[in-house]
Amino acid sequence: MSRNWLRWAPAAAAVVVVAGVAIAVPTVANASVSLPDKTPTQILELVASSNVRAFSGTVEETSDLGLPSLPAGSVPSSSRGSSSGALSAADLSLLTGPNSLRVYVDGPSKARVQNLESLAERDVIRNGSDVWVYDSKDNSVAHTTLASRQHFVRPGTTPQATSPDPTTPDPQDATPAGLAKKLIAQLEPTSTLSVDSNVRVAGRPAYDLVLTPKVTDTLIGSVSIAVDAETGVPLQVRIDARGQKTPAVNIGFSSIDLATPAASLFAFSAPAGAKVTEINQHATAPKAPDAPATKPTETVTGHGWDAVVTVAAANSLGTLSQSRSFGELTTAVAGGRLLHTSLFNVLFTSDGRIVAGSVSVARLQEVATAQ
Amino acid sequence: MRGSTLTTNTIRTRPASGLALLGTELSVLFRRKRTWAMLAALAAVPILIAIAVRLTRSGSGGGAGPAFLDRIENNGLFVVFVALGVCVPLFLPLTVGVVAGDTIAGEASNGTLRYLLIAPAGRIRLLAVKYVGAAAFCLAATLVVCIAGALIGFALFPSGSVTILSGDTVSLGNALGRSLLVALYVTVSLLGLSAIGLFLSTLTDVPVGAMAATIILSVTSEVLDQLPQLGWLHPWLFSNYWLGFGDFLRDPISWANFVTNAELQGGYIIVFAALAYGRFAAKDILS
Repeated sequence: MSRNWLRWAPAAAAVVVVAGVAIAVPTVANASVSLPDKTPTQILELVASSNVRAFSGTVEETSDLGLPSLPAGSVPSSSRGSSSGALSAADLSLLTGPNSLRVYVDGPSKARVQNLESLAERDVIRNGSDVWVYDSKDNSVAHTTLASRQHFVRPGTTPQATSPDPTTPDPQDATPAGLAKKLIAQLEPTSTLSVDSNVRVAGRPAYDLVLTPKVTDTLIGSVSIAVDAETGVPLQVRIDARGQKTPAVNIGFSSIDLATPAASLFAFSAPAGAKVTEINQHATAPKAPDAPATKPTETVTGHGWDAVVTVAAANSLGTLSQSRSFGELTTAVAGGRLLHTSLFNVLFTSDGRIVAGSVSVARLQEVATAQ
Repeated sequence: MRGSTLTTNTIRTRPASGLALLGTELSVLFRRKRTWAMLAALAAVPILIAIAVRLTRSGSGGGAGPAFLDRIENNGLFVVFVALGVCVPLFLPLTVGVVAGDTIAGEASNGTLRYLLIAPAGRIRLLAVKYVGAAAFCLAATLVVCIAGALIGFALFPSGSVTILSGDTVSLGNALGRSLLVALYVTVSLLGLSAIGLFLSTLTDVPVGAMAATIILSVTSEVLDQLPQLGWLHPWLFSNYWLGFGDFLRDPISWANFVTNAELQGGYIIVFAALAYGRFAAKDILS
């Protein structure tokens, strides 16, 4: 009898060892990180004083917006060829995730982002004033030349971390402390800044700066930014929704290398046989037959976390509401149809307006009827 | 067929060492008509794809059909990748399931298992040899698809420098090297399934049962992989990284999936080899 039992011992041991390794490795990686304490202001100073200009890394993006997951190809293919470059299945996948991106940055004017998909890839390459977009699925290339005044937003940085307003230069902004002070001044009225326990992102110890909205009628629970303790680079941004355990959106490096990427990565030219579209930004874009004559007007009600944006009737909505996925994604509510996610609500009113915000449905309906 | 098995078994009764046993195992495996039939069927996949694309030239809508299908006309090497994309989810697991499910149960049903176990401590060695044989078939099957695809691709379509997934262009030699890495990736991907097949094969004396069970498990794993509600389970499914071989067609090559996949398959091998040992070590060999 005991021999019978013994022969299964290797099997039991193997299961235990494999399970142990599988569980232990992530736990070790997340072991508590001890760093000297910093206040939120000091962390913002650290971000502002960061002088990392070149890096490469892998960024993982996951999201749980509570949307029904769309099977690939459910978006009508007719929308693909339209001149407005309308919402395609690929764009929706960026929202619903998970996505794996490889990012290469060398200074402000050289960058490459590779969106890694199963047996496919989409690349965005900026080399000086040239910007290329390559899609391996249909072997297509779009190329455009940037005007020199356009500023480049570094991938991986957050709106909070970029310089607030380029139109009002202030000598104080040049110093990290000044920039941090200015950011605090902007954030303080609406948010509570705090520092959560230290984390480890991409194997690097990091501070976790948390912004919690002071207002209570927003759907956003908190925004956490993990800041690399050594270099001040924001490594991860997590947005939590109220009443949801898993993060609504989580974008962070799974690995990062601060060495300068090879220059050949940024030298891109359209491969032979690819469909190349040249986009001229200076000339007026050819208008689609059904393009609205005037730009839809936007009005913003309130400011900060619970701001509500109203877009006046746009006739692209007519065709949008015809599509099957629109019906699947939205539900009928009083006053129109509602797209509900854990982070924001969008109300498509019966008279064609779009009312959106990170607030409850009742608040959206209130704004919609008030106008 | 029966007769030939019998004669080889008289040779195999007293193997001098594990290596000799492995040699006979491989020669029996690759001399079987069934093995040849399965390899021929696998080779037919790239050939059919290439001929179909050749006959229906310039009719394909961009992006429709299997990945890379519209690339074939520019470069024949893409026949290899289209064929692997088609074979990996179904045809390769099917053939590997047949070979792995047959390992022990096949000998048992032939009545030859007892001859193989005459040597002391023969059971572990026999399991190891059988597993290596199944792994060798994984490699052979993958290489057959790759080589047949490359030959028919270069025969019917232009060759030359290759545009990889990142939009960069690499030389043909570079691309052929990448194809070999892709073949390695696919072979490694199938090792976990082979271990499962080996374990199932020790449970029964009916080889067809073990084969069917192995194939059903691979299909089940792939179906579970498609359900977004089971996202937490996906990293643990042995089929989860099967289509990750595209990572070798990026610039720079991404090794992350290869490493994760190898670790995952290694875990499956350890667990199911130990289970197979547990079952086989004290099994009453009646045939």
